[in-house]
Amino acid sequence: MIDYILQYLHSSVTPGEAGNIFWEVVYALLVFTGISIGVIFMNWFERKVMAHMQVRIGPMRVGPHGLLQPIADALKLIIKEDLMPANADKIVFWFAPVCVVMTAFCGFIVVPFGRTHAITDMNIGVLFMLGVSSLGVLGVIMAGWASNSHYPLMGSLRSGAQMVSYEIAMSMTVVSAVMMTSMATGTGTLSMIGIVQAQLQQHTWFAFSFFPVGITALGVFSIAMVAETNRAPFDLPEAESELVAGFLTEYSGFRWSLFFLAEYASMMAVSAIATTLWLGGWLRPFPNLLGGRLWDAAFSLVPGITFLALSALCLFYFTRMPRMRAMRADALGLAGFGGVLGLIGLVMLLPGVRERIQDIYWFTLKAGFFMYLYIWYRTTFPRYRFDQLMKIGWKVLLPISIGVVILTALIGVRQELLALVWR
Amino acid sequence: MTITELVRRFFLIDLLEGMWVTFRHQNPKDLVTEQYPMQRPEISERFRGQPRLLKDETGKPLCTACGACALACPEKLIKVASLRDPETKKKVLTEFDYDLSRCMFCGLCEEACSSDALTLSPDYELALYTREGMQLDKTQLEQGVQRKVYER
Repeated sequence: MIDYILQYLHSSVTPGEAGNIFWEVVYALLVFTGISIGVIFMNWFERKVMAHMQVRIGPMRVGPHGLLQPIADALKLIIKEDLMPANADKIVFWFAPVCVVMTAFCGFIVVPFGRTHAITDMNIGVLFMLGVSSLGVLGVIMAGWASNSHYPLMGSLRSGAQMVSYEIAMSMTVVSAVMMTSMATGTGTLSMIGIVQAQLQQHTWFAFSFFPVGITALGVFSIAMVAETNRAPFDLPEAESELVAGFLTEYSGFRWSLFFLAEYASMMAVSAIATTLWLGGWLRPFPNLLGGRLWDAAFSLVPGITFLALSALCLFYFTRMPRMRAMRADALGLAGFGGVLGLIGLVMLLPGVRERIQDIYWFTLKAGFFMYLYIWYRTTFPRYRFDQLMKIGWKVLLPISIGVVILTALIGVRQELLALVWR
Repeated sequence: MTITELVRRFFLIDLLEGMWVTFRHQNPKDLVTEQYPMQRPEISERFRGQPRLLKDETGKPLCTACGACALACPEKLIKVASLRDPETKKKVLTEFDYDLSRCMFCGLCEEACSSDALTLSPDYELALYTREGMQLDKTQLEQGVQRKVYER
């Protein structure tokens, strides 16, 4: 038994590939907790960043700089009364949030946080993620239907139409990235890990290969993924001025918080796809150009140093806290938080840990950029009208994405042919 | 559509400019929010808040009990009572009732006052749990109402 557990540690593949059920379960739990913590953090971060972009300060009272606000919110949601409309379809109403959460978290099975840090490596990874994440629309429509109310029904129908139409543009750009994987090797792959390794082999992120094509694909994807997850400026299913809260209208308390969790988890899932396909997944910057043992060592120090810098920032703001009795607990809390971050940073600098942690660090950083982009879009752009949304989806993004696929194919074939001629 | 407009449309320059504006405003120096009980706003001298009866430098009440404020008040919420001092033959203020609960802070009493005694001060924390404390008498107006300060 113990041998079975320990024997995985010597391998350098994902637990799924090694066929080790124990580590698969451990990884699944780790990913689940990690994503949940990420959702909690995103909740705080979104409110803070949005507040600052709107020249406000955001949550300040619960914990230092409002750090405990999401926990307080979660507690409130759990304690809140869980209402069900009188004539609601009880089973469907109950199952809708479960369905949404399941689909949102299922996609993370294939997300490679590092070469070994994925639950499993599926040979149809991207396809699996797209398929599972588009199942989320089923839960949304179930929620709208089961609520037995006008607003949720309208909201869920809008959501269905929107997700289906943006899915196509999204998949087209994914096809272009998958075609790029076949460049050096001749055989393309749909496996998430394979795609990242292809980028390593081709010495470039797919965002920069075939110059305007890759970046256009990323641009189309980064617009389509906002629409796909029903976020601003494409948050028509939840347009509060028209539909109250869309399909969420009749949901309250814990069920509502499940929808919230699922929304953020699916945001992270599509960010993870974008990172894997175009921004080199877990690869650190310039893995080939700045190769060698020295650069490897230098880059492996970065995660620990980041955490130490964050800790220093916390301690700096601790010294800037107002000297008042009312603020003493907050100040101490901030200092404690800084201390914990510093400890994590020191642990990350340990030689054994830092090689293993850096993949996850770079992946999270890149995916975090997309999460920031979500917040940024939300504060900047006003909501589109529904016909404008459909127009962008079908008349702008779809032609561009088809063009991207065709161009990728043409340029790829040309390069291969040239390579044949010159050989 | 000119070429520049077309280029702007194509590269979504307007959207990018908007994003740059929101990004720029993240600078903590731009913040305008005050954290009220800890940070108090600076109120203009001209703000019409809690009414006060002022005294001169020697501590003598400025009010001459002429009753102009009571006449000027559109809500008739000021009650002035006075006695004639037998020696100086001048009116002496005995009672000054001000019903803050009906006051709309128009400032007409303040303008009517010929001796600059009655003024609406910039004190703004007037909220109470009951109506009882709203009827201000002479001493309260002279000393200012001491509100309870909450310390955590």
